Amino acid sequence: MRYDSVTDVIGDTPLVRIDAAVHGLRNIDLYAKMELLNPFGSVKDRAAWNMVRDRIAGAAERGDTVVELSSGNTAKALALIAAMHGLPFRSVTNRMKVPEIKDLLLLLGAQIDELPGRSECLDPDDTDDPLTRMYHTVSADGGGYLHTDQYFNELNVDAHTHGTGREIIADLGGRAPDYFIACVGTAGSSTGVARALRAHDPATTVVGLVAQKSDFIPGIRNIDEVHEVGLFDPGTYDTIEAVSSDEAIDGLLTLVRRCGTLAGPTGGGAYQGAVRYLRGIDETLTERRTAVFIVCDRVESYLSYLRERRPELFQQPARAQTLRTLTDGDLAAARTIGVADAEEWIDKESPLVVDLRSPFAYRALHIDRSINIVDDLFGEMLHGGLPFGRRQPVLLVCPVGEKSARYAALLTRMGHQDVRSLAGGVIAWRDAGAELVRD
Amino acid sequence: MAPYLQPRVDGDLRSLLDDRVWLHRLVDALGSPVNLVLPGHVAENVRRFRAVYRARHLSGHIFFAHKANRSQALVRGLAAADAGIDVASLGELRNALAAGFTPERIMATGPKSREFLWLAARAGVIVNADSTTELDALAGILRAHALPRVRVMARLSGFAPTGANMLTRASRFGIPVTGLATLWEVLEKQRDLLDFHGVAYHLDTVGLPEKAAALEGCLHAMDEAGRQGLSPRAIDAGGGFGVSYLADESQWEAWTTELTGAVLGKRPPLTWNGHGYGLRNEGGKLRGMLSVYPGYRTIAGPAYLDRLLDTESATHRRTLGTLLLDSMYDLHVEPGRALLDQCGAVLLRVEEVRDDGHGETLVRLAGNGGDIALEQHGVLMDPLLVPRGEPGPEEPAGVYLTGNLCLEADLITRRKVFLSRQPEPGDLLVFVNTAGYLMDFSAGEALMQPSARTVAAYRGRDGWQWCLDEQYWPVTGREETA
Repeated sequence: MRYDSVTDVIGDTPLVRIDAAVHGLRNIDLYAKMELLNPFGSVKDRAAWNMVRDRIAGAAERGDTVVELSSGNTAKALALIAAMHGLPFRSVTNRMKVPEIKDLLLLLGAQIDELPGRSECLDPDDTDDPLTRMYHTVSADGGGYLHTDQYFNELNVDAHTHGTGREIIADLGGRAPDYFIACVGTAGSSTGVARALRAHDPATTVVGLVAQKSDFIPGIRNIDEVHEVGLFDPGTYDTIEAVSSDEAIDGLLTLVRRCGTLAGPTGGGAYQGAVRYLRGIDETLTERRTAVFIVCDRVESYLSYLRERRPELFQQPARAQTLRTLTDGDLAAARTIGVADAEEWIDKESPLVVDLRSPFAYRALHIDRSINIVDDLFGEMLHGGLPFGRRQPVLLVCPVGEKSARYAALLTRMGHQDVRSLAGGVIAWRDAGAELVRD
Repeated sequence: MAPYLQPRVDGDLRSLLDDRVWLHRLVDALGSPVNLVLPGHVAENVRRFRAVYRARHLSGHIFFAHKANRSQALVRGLAAADAGIDVASLGELRNALAAGFTPERIMATGPKSREFLWLAARAGVIVNADSTTELDALAGILRAHALPRVRVMARLSGFAPTGANMLTRASRFGIPVTGLATLWEVLEKQRDLLDFHGVAYHLDTVGLPEKAAALEGCLHAMDEAGRQGLSPRAIDAGGGFGVSYLADESQWEAWTTELTGAVLGKRPPLTWNGHGYGLRNEGGKLRGMLSVYPGYRTIAGPAYLDRLLDTESATHRRTLGTLLLDSMYDLHVEPGRALLDQCGAVLLRVEEVRDDGHGETLVRLAGNGGDIALEQHGVLMDPLLVPRGEPGPEEPAGVYLTGNLCLEADLITRRKVFLSRQPEPGDLLVFVNTAGYLMDFSAGEALMQPSARTVAAYRGRDGWQWCLDEQYWPVTGREETA
């Protein structure tokens, strides 16, 4: 397959059947529309390209900036397309909640503008929110912006009516599925696909999935937020149901661990919401039905989101020489030394003084001739064994003498013979008037 | 189910409000409205903040932002506790000194008159300066009056986070962090008069990332100060830790969803004249932003500080709390609202209940929007109904609460408030958890209506006792036997 431009690769994604042994539905064939296989990694590639393809040449002549209110996949796709045409891209967002996406956008050269948080001392008379103000700036004609306006732009819907929706019908042998289940973000994909399916077969049931209100699933809006979306029309959906982030992650795990599909949380939510909705129907069926859901994007961008919500998925194998394995006996065996005695010890025996604080704090002030190994790094080093001889005298220093005492205990347990922890830490050292230097 | 927004009421405040007869006697004696404050509970709130410090071995002062409440009793209660005080006017400074705060426990902030600067300098309190001009003015006063060296902090502003361009609300206060050269010059020039204690920020936002960026910015400014040969030792992280006013998150979610529906015309209005609290309907789409205090907050007060200190610095890959400790800096904070959580209530008597002729019930109260500033600060929560006689059966009623001013706009809240039953004249409505900013912040005597008496409630030998606010001192009379 040869293409002239990567944008020609957008669309024509496969429709893959989910094994019945995984979803457990007896009378329904469940298919995943693999939008994660688009070149930039998500369903938003279609909308992004469709919204700019006819305007990008003019924008390039004028040197406009492409701008969108997005903190996710649309921004990613637009950043790539804008860069291909030599244009800057600016993403305005309430909050970048997914750090990987933020880093990726910065890597792509995008400018990110974050709107401020709610005021703590409110001025209830100020109802003109920063988002509306921003909207007016970027929407003005001749203002130097190509504003794609994904939440209100019909081209977002068109991309799916003519693309995604028709592809599903063609792949099902010219038939619309009986059920179509999609998460609602900009409402572009769900509305567009629903239009195509209903035009083919008005009996198709369309299920919209939104996030539970206090919950957060990247790319899905909650039941109140959908009303802010210009493309959202409640009439598009036969029913609207809520999914939780827990369900979305359960679905994601099923797709990645059992279906060979590297889906992100939105795809996981769509799968879990689809199975939950279809299970009740399945029991009443006597003939076969088909259902389709969309796998919007890929899992790799959501590792920190997953780590925060399911830390147990990322358990590291246990290590022997860590602070966590210290017993009360180990701690009692560790030696500490007061400020005055430590000064004398340094004068007489010149122990190696290891300051465990951050380099930032060390640089500002430290005990003369000490070396700096930040505690995390020191801990890492100890996994491999002692980083100095067991008879080399060592004085460990931390802010208040707590962490250094624990590391002294660990070193002692590992066989070190002359390690001491500075009692009260560098704060006690300072408060006693002992010398601190700045190099 | 009526869309209630029931307030969270805990501990001492709960026990006090359970005594119906006691509350009615108080209002009978002093007239409506009455402000009730709990100077004993504020010490408990200080302990909760202090626990966050202890867990990290951090030191520094918890300065109560006096502007949140004028009560003498609360300030004296704090003077007796492990707290400092942040004063923002000459009057507040005098009040703090009179309550027994020693100078090292007082921080002077905000816009300052020359008189304020003089008294701050004379008393030897920490002066938290808004600008380099103010530092020069302070030095001038010190020199002219031959006063001793004063500890100063510099309030900074305009912090930039890493990676993204944050469109932070511009502040009128503070020295831009991008132009610190002038600050170092002034501090160097006035070295014999100004003892540089550290840097400060105070951001008007509930957003944690902005605060984390500011705290990190302060760490860098401290580092720069060190390179300039100065030796500052404290960072003042300001306030804005917040309070969660509601007991139940689902009520907040349900109410905001109902408001959205009302603004879009899908259900009858929930507010006077269909007010949208910042939301509006443009062609069937929701526009604007809900401009009210987030009534239910999962992270507020000490827990918010905890979260802030646990936030990892993008530059140093270490939490901000650890960096503060590593650097041996004291951390000062200036909570107002959060220190007064569950420390007070405003009691108002129902004067009249009537139908407005369009099917709405109006409940007129002996007090007005200046006495209970829910609207001014956008805090949405229901009052508690304390009936005069034996309470009748429960039957939810949606009513509008109007004030005692002869003004169309004088509503206690523009929200339709749902109560467990229709109130009757003589009943009390109690607005709880209002000590922080909602009590006497802007109370006045418009139309010569009486302003509230403030009463301090405390636990005595025989249960709850009270005295007028100015009569309260944190002594029990039983010290001899201790």
